[in-house]
Amino acid sequence: MSPDDHLPRIPIEDYALLGDTRSAALVDPHGSVDWLCVPRFDGRPVFGRLVGGPTAGSFGLGPARPIGLASRRYRPETVTLETTWNTEGGRLTLTEGMVGEVSGRLLPSTMLVRRLTAEDGPVEAVITFDPRLGEERQHPRIEHRDRVLVCCWPTTAIALRTTPALQVQPGQSHTVTVSPDRPFTSVLTVADREPLTYVDPDAAWDVLQRDELRWRAWCRDIDRTIPQRDAVVRSLLTLRLLTYSPSGAPVAAPTTSLPEVLGGTRNWDYRYAWPRDASIGIAAFLGVGKEDEARAFLSWLLSATRLDRPRLPVLLTLHGKHPAPERELNSWPGYADSVPVRQGNGAADQHQLDGYGWVLDAAWLLTRAGHRLYAETWRTMAGFADTVAARWRQPDAGIWEVRSDTTHHVHSKLMAWLALDRALSIAEHHRTAARRTRRWTAARAQLREEITSCGFDAERGTYMRSYGASDVDAALLILPQLGFEAHGSPRVEGTIDAIVHDLDAGSPLLYRYPPGHDGLPGREGAFLPCSFWLVQALAGSGRTAEARSLFGELIALAGPVGLYAEEMDPLTHHHLGNYPQALTHAALVQAALALRDADDS
Amino acid sequence: MDWAGWALFGLLATTVLTALMISAQLGGLSRLDLPLILGTVVTRDPDQARAAGFVIHLIVGQLFALGYAACFALLGEATWWLGGLLGALHGAVALTVLIPLLVGIHPRMASSRAGLESTAVLEPPGLLGLNYGAQTPLITFTAHVAYGIALGLLLGVR
Repeated sequence: MSPDDHLPRIPIEDYALLGDTRSAALVDPHGSVDWLCVPRFDGRPVFGRLVGGPTAGSFGLGPARPIGLASRRYRPETVTLETTWNTEGGRLTLTEGMVGEVSGRLLPSTMLVRRLTAEDGPVEAVITFDPRLGEERQHPRIEHRDRVLVCCWPTTAIALRTTPALQVQPGQSHTVTVSPDRPFTSVLTVADREPLTYVDPDAAWDVLQRDELRWRAWCRDIDRTIPQRDAVVRSLLTLRLLTYSPSGAPVAAPTTSLPEVLGGTRNWDYRYAWPRDASIGIAAFLGVGKEDEARAFLSWLLSATRLDRPRLPVLLTLHGKHPAPERELNSWPGYADSVPVRQGNGAADQHQLDGYGWVLDAAWLLTRAGHRLYAETWRTMAGFADTVAARWRQPDAGIWEVRSDTTHHVHSKLMAWLALDRALSIAEHHRTAARRTRRWTAARAQLREEITSCGFDAERGTYMRSYGASDVDAALLILPQLGFEAHGSPRVEGTIDAIVHDLDAGSPLLYRYPPGHDGLPGREGAFLPCSFWLVQALAGSGRTAEARSLFGELIALAGPVGLYAEEMDPLTHHHLGNYPQALTHAALVQAALALRDADDS
Repeated sequence: MDWAGWALFGLLATTVLTALMISAQLGGLSRLDLPLILGTVVTRDPDQARAAGFVIHLIVGQLFALGYAACFALLGEATWWLGGLLGALHGAVALTVLIPLLVGIHPRMASSRAGLESTAVLEPPGLLGLNYGAQTPLITFTAHVAYGIALGLLLGVR
């Protein structure tokens, strides 16, 4: 069966993200919210149509008789989405968002505000509200309390209120007329193990507008000279939306099981936080001067990894716990028939050596930016370095979390070298026992020796994917940033060229490793972060013009509202995998920073 | 009322409670770190916070010991099992009331409603402190029962 047999109802990239930094919704171009988990990113969905089929719930609000989509965009430097349709009666605009800042006010922690306006004349719109809870797609108990629709489950309740007041029946479509002087506003509020808060729709609209001002203020100090600033700002906003504010955890993506191959089995749950992503996020936020966000990630890292130290877990829940075992939701049809839909992530039990390198590199970046590490932070980092010094000879699962046998990944060894190198750099300014630094120095030297002798193919002039392997790995594109090789080293140039040659998926796209070399059925798409790493590698090795051109091509491949998934179909340029993906957006920011730095130098 | 016993044994019992909690942390059972949580009310530095928090915890423990001593005086006896019962009540109240209340008063603790402007760095404890690890309720409860038993035993001996 070919991917064409699994055509999705809506392409992944056509979804837009709404969020409040605690949970997130995905809304399609017709105005249907097809994904929203409550009360957190990793909670149970109340709208799950995205991967759960029509009976998993959705919340539609849009034109009754659309002629076509006129425009769809986020309001500049905000996370408020604006969708305009052409209709027979004129244009109809849906403006919507989730409220991020509710502290200090009697507002629910999850609140979705949606307003329809018609500028040209009366336009008929349709509202279809059909919430279902969780894997079982439970119908709610319905109550109409005055002008509020309340849907209740045992511990969760949601309320829908509209202006003008409308007696909405879940699962049924209702028509409303929107006119220039009479907008239609709805507010959805959620309560989980707490009383519901009813909010007047017009008051909710005011709250949303105040939230917009906060987002604009947040964006104001982002460097005006950074290349492709609009795309960078959108990426930073997305990264912040995907940061769970109560703990500071960066969620990899707000979705589960959006497929890496349409109709395939490569469907994973990404509603967890990877220490690696937190570290990359620290670098991205630090690079644009967002120091609070960088420190929040570090704070989460320290807190979340506390029970596992000095081992670094591969991934954790938003509150730093080990995820429940991976399981399949057998009754869920999946996105474009891509089954199974998974809950939990089996990669949690893997040994991945590279994570230590990312984390210590982030700590080093913080010290380089003038932040002295607290003694406890340094003890934690030094413990990680000890683990690397003790375990670097062991094979690991590698950054790509391949579920077949472990092996000696060159990228992992390089990141282990980086971990020790950064630890030694930090140790120069933080109290460290001489015996410890001697151990790190010796391990670093042994790593260099082994990587250069076992991981490098002298005949081809490139570092390889693993010891003795014949294929390359796009993760090695980070090589110019490590300081492992001298600037302008032919080994770096050779590795970049080999990756571009061997893993080319049609410029500007790259596969992360040769397709099919991971023991899973099907051929996955091009891996978007790798293309941004290529921009970074080219900029870092002096090939700035190439880097800039490539970056421009990649920016053009963003979805209609500027978001990226993890992967992309090289032929159709449709996005694949969980969406939007924090790693891709962090890589975009880092690529822009590399270009800026190359320009500066 | 045994004031001398309260002054000395209150300190000892709080030290037992703190030691149990720290042992559970070091043993990888819970991330609940009472000295850190209490100390970060006054400083951001985790190491300084732990020192300050330990002192605050001793003072708080001493105040609670006053309640235990008053109960023993009212009941006319101090036994290990009576202390254990009071400790169980204390632990239950700590888990369901005191720890969740911290979110409202701690300047550096985020709440589950934290948003864009939050600069708090300590995560909220959540229901029964479960955000700090699945074993947290059991450990907290056990440590408080041990606190009560220690007070009952020591005050009973006198």
